[in-house]
Amino acid sequence: MKEFLQIIKKEFIHIFRDRLTLFLVLAIPILLVLLFGFTISTDIHHADISVLDLAEDSQSKALIDKITASGYFEVISYPMSESEIDEDFKNKNIKLAIIIPSHFEEQLTNEKFVTLQIINDVSDLNVASILNNYIKAILHDFTLSYNKINEADVPIDLSIHMMYNPEANCVYMFVPGIITMIMIIITALMASISLSREMETGTMRMLLIAPVKKVHVVIGKVIPYMILSFISTIIIIIISLVVFHMPMNGSIGLLLLLCVVFMLTAASFGMTISALVNTQLDAMMITMMGLFLPTAFLSGFLFPIDNMPYIFQLMANIFPGKWFIIALKDVMIKGSGIGDIWSYLLILFGMAMVLIVVSLRRLDRRR
Amino acid sequence: MSIISVTDLHKSYGSVHALKGISFNVEEGEIYGVVGPDGAGKSTLFNILTTLLLPDSGEVSVLHKDIRKDFLEIRKYIGYLPGTFSLYPDLSVEENLIFFATMYQSSIKENMGIIKPIWQQLSPFKNRPAGKLSGGMKQKLALCCALIHKPILLFLDEPTTGVDPVSRKEFWEILKTIQQQNISVLVSTPYMDEATLCDRIALLQEGQFIKMDSPQAIIDSFQGNLVTLHTHDIFNLLHLMEQCPFHCNFYPYGEHLHVIFYEDLTTILPSFEKFLQDNNQIYNNIQQIKPTIEDCFIEITTEKKNL
Amino acid sequence: MRLPFQHTNIVEDSPYSIEVKELTKQFGDFTAVDHISFNVKKGEIFGFLGANGAGKTTAIRMLCTLLMPTSGSARIAGYDLAKESKMIKRNIGYMSQKFSLYDDLTVYENMQLFGTIYGIPKKELKDRIFSSLKMLELENKYKTLVYSIPLGWKQKLAFATAMLHRPKIVFLDEPTSGVDPIVRREFWNLIYETAAQGVTIFVTTHYMDEAEYCGRISIMSHGQLKLIGTPTELKEQMEADSIEKVFVKFVVR
Repeated sequence: MKEFLQIIKKEFIHIFRDRLTLFLVLAIPILLVLLFGFTISTDIHHADISVLDLAEDSQSKALIDKITASGYFEVISYPMSESEIDEDFKNKNIKLAIIIPSHFEEQLTNEKFVTLQIINDVSDLNVASILNNYIKAILHDFTLSYNKINEADVPIDLSIHMMYNPEANCVYMFVPGIITMIMIIITALMASISLSREMETGTMRMLLIAPVKKVHVVIGKVIPYMILSFISTIIIIIISLVVFHMPMNGSIGLLLLLCVVFMLTAASFGMTISALVNTQLDAMMITMMGLFLPTAFLSGFLFPIDNMPYIFQLMANIFPGKWFIIALKDVMIKGSGIGDIWSYLLILFGMAMVLIVVSLRRLDRRR
Repeated sequence: MSIISVTDLHKSYGSVHALKGISFNVEEGEIYGVVGPDGAGKSTLFNILTTLLLPDSGEVSVLHKDIRKDFLEIRKYIGYLPGTFSLYPDLSVEENLIFFATMYQSSIKENMGIIKPIWQQLSPFKNRPAGKLSGGMKQKLALCCALIHKPILLFLDEPTTGVDPVSRKEFWEILKTIQQQNISVLVSTPYMDEATLCDRIALLQEGQFIKMDSPQAIIDSFQGNLVTLHTHDIFNLLHLMEQCPFHCNFYPYGEHLHVIFYEDLTTILPSFEKFLQDNNQIYNNIQQIKPTIEDCFIEITTEKKNL
Repeated sequence: MRLPFQHTNIVEDSPYSIEVKELTKQFGDFTAVDHISFNVKKGEIFGFLGANGAGKTTAIRMLCTLLMPTSGSARIAGYDLAKESKMIKRNIGYMSQKFSLYDDLTVYENMQLFGTIYGIPKKELKDRIFSSLKMLELENKYKTLVYSIPLGWKQKLAFATAMLHRPKIVFLDEPTSGVDPIVRREFWNLIYETAAQGVTIFVTTHYMDEAEYCGRISIMSHGQLKLIGTPTELKEQMEADSIEKVFVKFVVR
C-alpha cells in the first residue's frame, strides 16, 4: 500500500513540476466554457419570423401577441400557405416560421392537446436553438396564463415539431460536451502520455523489475489525473450553474458519481492505448484520432446523433462519450434519478472494467 | 552453486539472431564482465537475466531460480542499472531515491550502510532535479537507486558509457566496495580496457561468447608474440605492412603499431627491423609487450575469420 | 586501398585550418569556455578531450558556428567565425555516433538527402554517392534500409555522407565509441586516408582508446585548455604511461 501511495505522490510531483501543463489543464476548461457560453448565449432580439395562422381565432391571436410582445421576435409576414413559408425563408430571410393549426382554440379547450409546427432556418444551428428555446419559453408561459385566466387546470401538452432540428440544442447542451472533452484530454490523453513516457525513457522497466504490483503502478499513475479532471469538471459545473444559469434539476451527488464513473472509463481508454504503443507520440496520436475526435463528432456533442447515417449511429455506441452526455443531460436538465440512468452507468463501468483488465494483461506480458 | 547459470541460451527478434547459444556461470561474490561491442547482444542478455524478456530456448537460472517461473521471486533480490538513464529527471535526487526505496518496501535509512560512500558524494545535490546532474553524478544516483533495497545480485548494463575517464575510474572503485559487501555483480561494457577490472570476463561477439576466463588467463592464452613500435606516420607504415613478407597480424594501437608474430622473436625480429629499414621507415621503441584484452579480442576474432 | 575523395588544393596563406584565439563563452556568471587558443594544421587529426562539463561541447558548438562567442576570435577553414559563418558551414562536415543517418531511409536516400542539403548538383551528387559507396564496397547495398546495416558499416557510411560535400574540416563526435576493435581500426584507416588528402579531422571524445589514434590531442578542464600535444609528448610531460592516466592526473589535479 505504501508503494501505491508513493506512486501517486510521484505522479503528482510530475504534474506540479510541469507548471505549463498544469496551468493549461486548469485554465483551458474555464476558457472553453466561457467561450462557448458567451458566444452562444448572446441574446437575439427582433428576429424576423413568419406566422401561418390557420385558426385565426382569439387564442391564436393571443399567442401571436405574446410572441410579438416578448421582443425577441418580429412577425414580418403572414403567409397564406405552407408554400409561401418557403418563399419567406428564401426571399425575406426569416429565421423561423410558426404554423398554428386550424381549430387552435377548440383543440385547446376540448382536446387539451395542441400541435404547433415550428420551422427553423438551421443554417446557423446556434441561433436556431436559441430561438427555439425562446419559443418554448413563450409557449410555456402562454399555457400557464391560459389555465389561470380560464380557471382551468388542464394539463396542456404542447408538443413542438421542429422540421430541421428535432433535438432541441441549446447552450446548456454544450456543457456536458465540454465536460466530456476535458475529461478525455486530462484523464485519457495525459494518463496515456504519462504512461508511455515511462516506457520511452525506460523508467517503466525499473518499475517492472521491482517487486511492486502492476495494478498499483498503472492505477497509481492514473489516479492523479482523475483527481485533476474531477477538479476541472467541478469548476466547469460551477461556472455553468453560476454564470450561465444552467438548470440543475437532478441530484448533485448523482452527477458527481456519474462524472467519477466516466473518468474511470476515460482513464481505462488511456491505459489501454498506452499499453498498445511504445512512444509518447503514438499515444498522443491514437488518443486524439481514435478517441478525442470520434467522441467530438459522434457523441452528440457537436451533431445530433439521430441525424447521423445509421452506421455512424451504431459506431457512436462504442465511444463512452455518447452514454455520458445522455446521462449527464438527463440528470441536469430532466432531473432524472439513479433509477433512470443506471443502465448508462453500467455501460460506462463495464467498458472501464474490460479495458482495465485488457491493459493490465498487456502491460504485464513478457516477450 | 552458481548465482547465475545459463545453458545454451537463444534469442531472436524476427530474423535477427541476437543470442546464438550462450552458456556461462557466475559465482557468488564475483564481478563478472560481459565485454563486447555495441550490437553484440549485451542488452538482450541483460534483459533476459533481469526477467524482463523471455528467452526462445535454453536453461537460465538466476539466484538458483528459474527465470520463466520464479521471476517475481528473483525481482526482489536483484538490482538493475539499465544502459540508458532511467530515473525521473524532474524528481530531485532524494525524491528518486525515496521513490525506488519504497518500490522495494525499503527505506533510505534501512540500507544507508550500503550506499553511504556514494551518497556522501551525492548528498550536496540532494535537492537538485536528477535531470540536471552531470553524467557521472547521474550514474552514481542510478547506482544508489539500484542498491537501495540491498540486492544480492547487481546487474549493470554499460554503466560507464558516456562517462568521462575520471568518473569511470571512480565508478569502478565503487564497484569494488560493493563487491566487498557480498553483492555479486554482472557488468557489461564495450570498453576492452575495463575488462581487467573484472574477476572474470566473457568476450561477446555477434551473439556468441568467443572467450570466457579471468582477464589474466585470457592474456596468458594469447597465441603468438606481440611486438609494438612507435612511428610518426602510421598511415604510411600501414601501407608498407601490407607488403610485409612475414607471417604476422598487424593493426594500429593508438599511435603505435602492434604486430603479432607466430614464430620465435629472436629470429624474426631482426629480419623484420631490416625490412622496415630497407623501406626507409623511421620508427622507435620497438619491443615485445604483454597483450591487452583488446589485443586478445583482435587476435581471437581474426583467428576465427581465418579459419 | 583507393583514395576516397579527391580534393582540389586551395592555395591559402595559412598552414592552419583552425585558428582559435582567446575564444570565450559566458553564460551569465558562468564561464563555460575561458580564453582558449589553439591551432590545427591542415590534414591533422586533432583530438579534443575533456571531462563531462569541462566546456568541450560549448567550444565545439562555437567552432561549428552554432553558438556566438562572448569574446575572442577564430578562423575556421580560412573564414572568420564572427563574419563568415555561412562559408564556414559550407566547408565543415559533422558526424556523431549518436545520430548519423536516418534508420528508416535507405542508404541512397540518406546520402541524397544530406548531399542535397549542401547544394550538390543532382548528377554530380549521384556520381559522388556511387563512388564513395564503391570505395566502401557497399554499392550493391544502396537500396538497403540503414536500419538493417551492421553498426560498423553504418559508421563508415555516416562518415562518407559527412564527406559528400567535400568539407575542409570534419568534426567527429565520439565516432567509434563502443564499436568492435576491428571495425574501429577499419574506420580509423578511413580517417587516416581522408587526413592524408588534406582534410582536417577534429575528433571529440572522452574515450581514451579513440583519443590515442589522434595525431595531437588537447584536454579541456574547467573551461580552459592548458594541455596540448602529441600523445607521446603528453605522456612524457605528465609522467604517465597511458593517455587515460594523463587525463586522470591532469583533470584531478
